[in-house]
Amino acid sequence: MRKCKVFVGNSHSELGELICSKLGIEPAPCTLKKFSNGETSVQIGVSVRDEDVYVIQSGSEDINDHIMELLIMVSACRGGSAKKITAVIPQFPYSKQSKMKKHRGAITARMLANLLVMAGADHIISMDLHASQMQGFFTKPVDNLYGAASLGKWIKEHVEDYTNAVVVSKNPGGTKRVTGLADSLKINFAMIHTDRRRGDNDFLATKMKKQQVPSHSRRQSVVGRRRSSAKKEDADEEEELIYSNGLQTARVVQGHVVGDDYIAEEAVDESAISVDSDQEESIPNDQTSYALGGTYDAADSDEEYEPEAPEKLITLVGNVKGRSVIILDDMIDRPSSFIAAAEHCRLNCGATKVYIAATHGLFIDNCLEELEACPYIDQVIVTNTYPITEKKKQCKKLVTIDVSSIFAECIRRDHYGESISVLFDKIASGI
Amino acid sequence: MGKNSIRLLAPDVHRGLAELVAKRLGLKLTDIYLKRDSCGEVSFSIKESVRDEDIYIIVQIGSGVVNDRVLELLIMINACKTASARRITAVIPNFPYARQDRKDKSRAPITAKLMADMLTTAGCDHVITMDLHASQIQGFFDVPVDNLYAEPSVVRYIRETVNFDEAIIISPDAGGAKRAAGLADRLDLNFALIHKERARANEVSRMVLVGDVTDKICIIVDDMADTCGTLAKAAEVLLENKAKSVIAIVTHGILSGNAIKNINNSQLERVVCTNTVPFEEKLPLCPKLDTIDISSVLAEGIRRLHNGESISYLFRNNPI
Repeated sequence: MRKCKVFVGNSHSELGELICSKLGIEPAPCTLKKFSNGETSVQIGVSVRDEDVYVIQSGSEDINDHIMELLIMVSACRGGSAKKITAVIPQFPYSKQSKMKKHRGAITARMLANLLVMAGADHIISMDLHASQMQGFFTKPVDNLYGAASLGKWIKEHVEDYTNAVVVSKNPGGTKRVTGLADSLKINFAMIHTDRRRGDNDFLATKMKKQQVPSHSRRQSVVGRRRSSAKKEDADEEEELIYSNGLQTARVVQGHVVGDDYIAEEAVDESAISVDSDQEESIPNDQTSYALGGTYDAADSDEEYEPEAPEKLITLVGNVKGRSVIILDDMIDRPSSFIAAAEHCRLNCGATKVYIAATHGLFIDNCLEELEACPYIDQVIVTNTYPITEKKKQCKKLVTIDVSSIFAECIRRDHYGESISVLFDKIASGI
Repeated sequence: MGKNSIRLLAPDVHRGLAELVAKRLGLKLTDIYLKRDSCGEVSFSIKESVRDEDIYIIVQIGSGVVNDRVLELLIMINACKTASARRITAVIPNFPYARQDRKDKSRAPITAKLMADMLTTAGCDHVITMDLHASQIQGFFDVPVDNLYAEPSVVRYIRETVNFDEAIIISPDAGGAKRAAGLADRLDLNFALIHKERARANEVSRMVLVGDVTDKICIIVDDMADTCGTLAKAAEVLLENKAKSVIAIVTHGILSGNAIKNINNSQLERVVCTNTVPFEEKLPLCPKLDTIDISSVLAEGIRRLHNGESISYLFRNNPI
């Protein structure tokens, strides 16, 4: 490609180099380091005068350093009389802060957009923005690519009997993303909703009712008990309850699905659980041991700052019985909502396998370890938009899909002034 | 709280200077929520209403995690902006990236200009800073910048602690000659100059002294001390030229890298920094360090700016 320079930032040089090799060029030389006082130093090692410049920088754990690095690189290219500067940001940082969540909070994603444009970026290429409305934050064109095509391809090739699989959204906000993938694969979809359990009084009332009429409460209890239940009438009623309205509901305490006779007040008391677990085979005895970490966030990732509710109600809308489940989202940062959804699908709704698929695998803290420890999750599929450390790559459940070819093709088409919409249509046309 | 009153904000780290300023103004720092995600992202909100208020965000940016502090500041400014504050003033005594203020090499970024643009883009209406590395940086901003001087405080410090008759002011490089000369004028002292030939950033090669320092107490004056290699070398040169003792007074004591080791091993008698940069944790490591408190200058600057009074008084006088 003539008159084109691709600079690779420090955040995810692996992806940058893959993109360059797909384009058949070398990354343009630049020196990125830090002064002893912590300030970032950027030296562009080649002339960019009148050139088409692409700067590749993704998210990372030192996100603020890499944002500054990106801004300084863009600014340096602008100062070096580049013709056009495109910031390629596979995982857009701060994209969860795209709206004012609480009083007097910052809309950091918009501010970042302004900073990029101010620094001199003429064009932004990103993938699966947390909210596609973020494109409106920029006063310059934004190309929001989709990772779903690559994920869909993997599902077609690796999920047994994928035509009977179900794509599940773990929160209502992500349903649109899920239907997109389901449509392109021509398979069914379902949705999980988690809401705060109605007040304590209600809970007490249920409890009272249970004590008075134990047999009735047993019938109402979680679907997971269905399999262990020998009574035919119980099972029949259960089936009716579930499939008449397509709703399957269970309680979630501390991020894990529990039975109806689980008592929230004794949630941390292991002895109390063991009494119940004798009767309920489907609920693991060791649930407290992997409940450690306790980073339970709200099921809807957009509500991560909401105060943690002690108990929630998880509902699956749709049918996953005897099918493989693919829980799809745009990013995996914290594990708990995925674990709760997987447990619900497997224990209560009769799913045979659970796959977790997302474009951005951030895996904050022990996220990946917790996902791996969860016996109800079979595989975790992410793309390489966000750097995956060597340690994370050791995880047996983790599958990383290379999306560098999508970015390379986008850069190539953008440079030659060809249409990029083909890259979007790939999804619609069944990959 | 009445409308349009002063509100002071500070991030959750390095609040020392902000608390001193708040104390001098008789105010409390506004309650904030600031959380760093383990993936590095910062989330922030202000716990009290700031609608129609006059906001002052005081940050101390030292060495180490400069970029995190910068992003925090930007996010704080942006949060105030979206919370309908009347005016937002960033009080950044030590302006970060101030040394990257020109295109000294081909395709070098002018990061100081980028910083200025970033602040205004985030929603900053006014900037208060101190002893900018180059006063041209004021021109990088589209909003008013008040560049305060530590000089009156330094003058007072010298008058109070140094034997006046024997002192001489030294500029460690040609660029700082103007600053040194100004201080020498104020104190009615002589001044000398050291010329250094710099090979690379943070490295000093050769030094030449211009002026007579025989039997004098040399006071080296500069705007910032980073690794202190220059200061240590300058002290050597001065003592070789028969100086009696050497003191260094700098506004921004960034003291990064081997600074503490360099100071401890050097022949400097004392290194005096203002508290624009947080270095409390370094004080116990180095007995030669001393501090000048400039919170009174900032507090008075904030008060005058809020009341619409002239700031220029502060350029010459040190408020008590």
